[in-house]
Amino acid sequence: MMTAAIEASGLGKAYRRAWALRDCTLVIPEGHVVGLVGPNGAGKTTLLRLATGMLAPTCGAITVLGQRPAAGLAQLARVGYVAQDTPAYARMRVADHLRLGAWLNPGWDDGLAQRRIAQVGLDPKQRAGSLSGGQRAQLALTLALAKRPELLLLDEPVAGLDPLARREFLRGLMEAVAEHGTSVVLSSHLVTDLERVCDYLIVLVASRVRIAGEVSELLASHHRLAGPRRAPGTLPAGQDVIEQSHTDKQSTLLVRTDEPIHDPAWTVTPVSTEELVLAYMNPANDIPARRPQLGVAS
Amino acid sequence: MIEFQLDETSGVATYLQLVQQVHQALRMGMLEPGDQLPTAQQVVAKLAINPNTVHKAYRELERDGLARARPGLGTFITRSPSGTDPATQARFLTAMTDWLRSARSAGLGPDDIEAIYRTALRACFAEGAA
Amino acid sequence: MIRLTWLQFRAQAVTAAAALAAFAVLLAATGPHLASLYAADGLDSCHGGSSCLSPASYFTGSLSQSPYGVLFLLSTGVILLAPAVIGLFWGAPLIARELETGTAALAWNQSITRTRWLAIKLTVIGLTAIAVTEALCLMQTWWAAPISQAVADGSGAGVAQSRFSQLNFATHGITPLGYAAFAFALGVTAGALIRRTIPAMAITLAIFTALQVAMPLWVRPHLAPPDHTVRPLTSLGGAGPSQTGPGGDIFTLYALNIPGQPGAWVLSSGAVNAAGQPVSTTPAACTSVGGTGVSAGAQGRAFPPGQGPGAFVDCLASHGIREAITYQPASRYWRFQLTETAIYLALALALAGYCFRRLSRLS
Repeated sequence: MMTAAIEASGLGKAYRRAWALRDCTLVIPEGHVVGLVGPNGAGKTTLLRLATGMLAPTCGAITVLGQRPAAGLAQLARVGYVAQDTPAYARMRVADHLRLGAWLNPGWDDGLAQRRIAQVGLDPKQRAGSLSGGQRAQLALTLALAKRPELLLLDEPVAGLDPLARREFLRGLMEAVAEHGTSVVLSSHLVTDLERVCDYLIVLVASRVRIAGEVSELLASHHRLAGPRRAPGTLPAGQDVIEQSHTDKQSTLLVRTDEPIHDPAWTVTPVSTEELVLAYMNPANDIPARRPQLGVAS
Repeated sequence: MIEFQLDETSGVATYLQLVQQVHQALRMGMLEPGDQLPTAQQVVAKLAINPNTVHKAYRELERDGLARARPGLGTFITRSPSGTDPATQARFLTAMTDWLRSARSAGLGPDDIEAIYRTALRACFAEGAA
Repeated sequence: MIRLTWLQFRAQAVTAAAALAAFAVLLAATGPHLASLYAADGLDSCHGGSSCLSPASYFTGSLSQSPYGVLFLLSTGVILLAPAVIGLFWGAPLIARELETGTAALAWNQSITRTRWLAIKLTVIGLTAIAVTEALCLMQTWWAAPISQAVADGSGAGVAQSRFSQLNFATHGITPLGYAAFAFALGVTAGALIRRTIPAMAITLAIFTALQVAMPLWVRPHLAPPDHTVRPLTSLGGAGPSQTGPGGDIFTLYALNIPGQPGAWVLSSGAVNAAGQPVSTTPAACTSVGGTGVSAGAQGRAFPPGQGPGAFVDCLASHGIREAITYQPASRYWRFQLTETAIYLALALALAGYCFRRLSRLS
């Protein structure tokens, strides 16, 4: 039985005026690259900061690798974090950042750090303030990876990068996963990048989890149905309509179901990851409240 | 060694694309039994995809009997997609040649032989895996 | 973590070292000449007796018009300002800048707890702050030794200031140490609460200045219960009518020092009559005697006999008026220094403790 990478139950975080995250119950398994998707302001950053211990929950609980976030040196060493905008010390050189990592992390792999810096073409003598966005992102990723964490949390690391820099960043990340088996939770509002690298998805909208599950299971349980116009109430139980659109002659539905669809009136086609995510992200869609996380007994 | 490509617009799952590319390479003769498939790390370095996708593709190839993972060494092609290894194929080729010779000397022409072949093929595979 | 603290603190450390070096060079270059001026005024040979008073007053009086007087004031200013500068530029950015630039996410997600991070930063930079301020203070004390000696000899002229005076007390001894620690802790706390460097600097400056003004005015006089004494009026003190009021002229007394209590800190003085009650109205017989209120030590005015400040004082004394003085004796100087420093250190520790709690819980 694998330890969950992150386990949240009833997790919520409120600021003065509003809830940033509510009723968040999740079990994120280890050994996956998890995509945390949602529009801006949905609560992705809040969830990640709660997982790193930089925020304290208002209600509910969260454990990371079986322990409270930032519970102590050992736990801090097992979790790596790259914050939004990949911050770095503007006046410190690249080499100094690596020294920072070496001094503060007993598990620091300096060989890995130096190799990565050379591989991505960073000048160790250059000050971080004069690096481009893509270079700074690579520096931040190197710092997080060289620590050899079991779990890596990344908050929109590629948001401000051009397509080439984005691809390079994801390449470096996936190489690290291939080599060390690191679990990754990666938040983004760009769906196309996630399709390439994620095998587990969480959709967060308006501070709530809409759906969470393995990509293969999600794709297997969601179907697009096209057929003559009819009211959705006429579907058999066990099939949840996520999204629907009607013309005068035709109905098109996106349904979630574990059972096969027997009704011959429907043309059944598979759903792509992007379509699935967009459907769940659309606030106009009323998601039926079945257990939101597939594969988890409620 | 085969080099994988990824077509993001095709709508086909990534792991399936890899499987299909291996099938294609085998058919075209670019891959032969005994060849090593790229490691997950090599594929990831080129395509920036999830390594689990590569493992999933290779597991599918193993299930189809096309490849086998040797721990510590890599994943290797075991046979071509036609379903058998060259030795077995040679055996049946010999048996078929003998049968054809005796059919010909019994007076059967190419069309008769083809009709007999098709009837027998249909009947054989209709009764399921033998 | 210690190495990282120095790495991040590099720029400020270099500035501080340069400032210390410049200060040291300036004082070292001029100190010996100041000592020779002291000797030239004959103060070396009077051996601390009462004959030193006049040359001591001359020495400090003439200094105030020379560049040495300016240097004395400037160096005093540097020591006064150092804690504030430390609080603003070393304290306020410590946490606030990390939160502002987002580098806190980098620093606090390494394999080090926030508590340890803060503990090392506070200790290393705090001790440096204390060392720098105290170094400035000791250097200036060494340089100004001739002036201090002249003050001990009784001079009150020019640059001479008694040890208990506001400027002197805050820039000598160990009080600068306490101010530095407190200002630093105040800056760090402001940064942790406000989370932005510039506003934190402003708040730190405001609160520190307010405290530095309030302490000598309202707290320091009460750090030990004062002594009281009633003295006969002498012409060594000063007295003079200050204004004409409805009940008659009003006079005031200025007690500069207390005979038999050299270097004492006079908190307040007032006139009392023979029965011990406070009195401020000039007795009718003395109103014509006075002249304007000048201290007995002023020179250069001639008065007719039976007139003038001296005669005024004698007239008041003949009516039974004496002087009631509230003061702190000079022997209590180090007690006051220790008490005040302890207060500031305690405040600094309390603020630091608050910072730890705040940081470990965040928001």
